[in-house]
Amino acid sequence: MATKKRRRPSRAKRGGISTTHILIVAGAAILVFGMLVVLNANRSQSSVSDVSYETGITSDGEPYKGSPDAPIQVVEYSDFLCGHCGDFADALHALGPDYIETGKVQVVFSNYAFLAPESIQAAQAAECALDQGADKFWLYHDLLFANRGTGLTAYSKPRLNTYAREIGLDTRAFNDCLDSGKKLAEVESDRAEGQSQGVESTPTWFLNEQMIRGALPQSDLRQIFEVQLSQGS
Amino acid sequence: MRQGIRETNSHFTGHVNWRLWLMRILALAGMGVSAYLTWAHLAHQSVACGQSQDCDMVQQSVYSEVGGIPVALLGLMAYTALFALTLLRGRVAEHLDNYIPLAVFGISLIGVLYSAYLTYLEVFVIYAICRWCVSSALIITAIFLLSLPDLKAEADVS
Repeated sequence: MATKKRRRPSRAKRGGISTTHILIVAGAAILVFGMLVVLNANRSQSSVSDVSYETGITSDGEPYKGSPDAPIQVVEYSDFLCGHCGDFADALHALGPDYIETGKVQVVFSNYAFLAPESIQAAQAAECALDQGADKFWLYHDLLFANRGTGLTAYSKPRLNTYAREIGLDTRAFNDCLDSGKKLAEVESDRAEGQSQGVESTPTWFLNEQMIRGALPQSDLRQIFEVQLSQGS
Repeated sequence: MRQGIRETNSHFTGHVNWRLWLMRILALAGMGVSAYLTWAHLAHQSVACGQSQDCDMVQQSVYSEVGGIPVALLGLMAYTALFALTLLRGRVAEHLDNYIPLAVFGISLIGVLYSAYLTYLEVFVIYAICRWCVSSALIITAIFLLSLPDLKAEADVS
């Protein structure tokens, strides 16, 4: 009596998995991984890697933006933790296309870090950014002020390092600079220099050597600049 | 057919059952680690890292998000899926059960590859090692390796 051999159900019918399935899943996994890396890499690329105005460093070692030949010079003493300093920086930034990029106003930045240890930390970080170029300093300056509202952790070392990466700094050099504390003396000397000129609070700024205390809104600043320009300063 | 089911599932009902249990425990541990990192990231809290700030440097780096989603949250989702899958193994209809090892393999493979990429970033780009992230990398690698025998058994049986 011939025995009928019962065939085992095929893999497809039993709903099992095959080498093809494994290869497809492995391929899909690699594809998903690739997409995640691309998305992550895009995020990590700096969105602020360039400035549209002239930058440089004064003979005193302070960073400036705008032409050194500009008829108006604004020398500001600021603390990165100070809200009004941020407002003032925002106002100057907003007026940039009309006055700084057109060679009418030059802005010189000096640290006056006194509010908290985080202020001094941020000021040192900004000096470390300056080591890599005045344009990098201004990008870093803008990022610091843009993040000042996120609390004291905004100026924690990890966050300061993150900002450095975001603007495309050499992070190893930046970290070494910040860790070494070599900019502390410079930050303290900036403050002493400010005190010697009568600075007691921030922001304090000098409009063609005339001291003005406190921030001004954008409209008032524009008016002042226009008056100065009409007087042919 | 009943015999077939027993054969198919024998590798997790018998002496090698420990692998499935270990995967569940590891997935739970991974959920814990990634949930903590997700909370720290979203709440802007410092991560417990001994005296070092390395964990925060990694956690607050630009690489800690993908398309605006915290990487730790993606990890939490992956570990939750792995835990659910390992919990369901052997408890659902056969035609679905057979695919569980494949799903575990796929998800953990993505995890292993991405963890390797993140570890590379920590060592060569961020210059800071986050011990929580390394723990997660080890957990996902262990889950991946543990998933292979089950996958092979499932493929061999059919």
